[in-house]
Amino acid sequence: MRNKTINPDGDPEFGVDSRYTSSMEKEQDSIDLMQARLERMKNLTREEIIRAKLLQLKLKMEEYLKNPDYDNQKHFARFLETYIDIIYTKRNVFAVDLSISPNYLSKIINNHREPNEEFILKLMIHSEKVFKNITHFRKKTWYQIFYQEKLNATMASQDTWRPKIEKEINFKSLNSPF
Amino acid sequence: MFQNLETIQYLRIVIIKDVETGNTYPIEILPIQHSDYKFLTIKRYSFNWKKEKEKEVYKLIIKGQNDILGLISIETIHAEWRIHIGLLCVSKENVGKAKKFENIAGNLISFVAKIAVKEFGEFACVSLRPKTAIAQHYIDAYKMNKTGATLSLEVPEIIDLINKFEHEK
Repeated sequence: MRNKTINPDGDPEFGVDSRYTSSMEKEQDSIDLMQARLERMKNLTREEIIRAKLLQLKLKMEEYLKNPDYDNQKHFARFLETYIDIIYTKRNVFAVDLSISPNYLSKIINNHREPNEEFILKLMIHSEKVFKNITHFRKKTWYQIFYQEKLNATMASQDTWRPKIEKEINFKSLNSPF
Repeated sequence: MFQNLETIQYLRIVIIKDVETGNTYPIEILPIQHSDYKFLTIKRYSFNWKKEKEKEVYKLIIKGQNDILGLISIETIHAEWRIHIGLLCVSKENVGKAKKFENIAGNLISFVAKIAVKEFGEFACVSLRPKTAIAQHYIDAYKMNKTGATLSLEVPEIIDLINKFEHEK
């Protein structure tokens, strides 16, 4: 029989063996736990669901910033879209709250236009207030995502822009480029 | 899928506290390396961790140091939006009244909670099946729900736990 908990010092955190001993035990646990969870989920308020979704978004944004590999995805637009859709039932209302036109917002979300600095500043302040009572949200997150994505795209598309740009660079005034 | 999930905590500082001095130290929770297993004795880490080699195992260390202060193995059950904790332990010198650091187990559970919320949002769940004698400790310390022999963390308590173990930089 496995040692379920080794606890020589009276400290319950010394070690917990929580592994299932059989597939039957696991299956039964899955059924019972899911049933209980579904009951508890029924009692979740809209605010609690929004809080969870916003925390999920924040964690995904942080993960992107830590591993910002270029993948041809429009992360800023997707995160923005998710952010708005978590909080608002209509995107137009968000546009009104930010004093921007719904058309401009739509263009940003659909990657037809880059956000200008004023938009990112407004988004930063909006997020700051929304996240205030949920979890810590770094002010510069939106900025970082926007510029990280831009940087990744630029570096990944060197074959396109580099030949032309490189021709315009010379070292005539120097003996050598070192 | 979870190879890089240790990174999700990087923007907030996560700490443990020296019980005697009150000093706090930033920590990292990282996937265990193959070379770590030779240091994981049953005497210091409660279990035979080599048996967990095929699973996702994470170690808690003080940032910049190598000594492993705590370990956790997990199984992700996608169909149930759940992460089940298999083994959890704190190194021997960090348990009991003479412990050097506190919050090791809490940080490990909070780390798994973040993975669960990141993956499953409002459906996130972390589960654990401790021995009956110590179940109440986990219910009290981490506000876990009890279903039969299984304890679980869900929304909203899971969010509170994540916030509890993160600190401003």
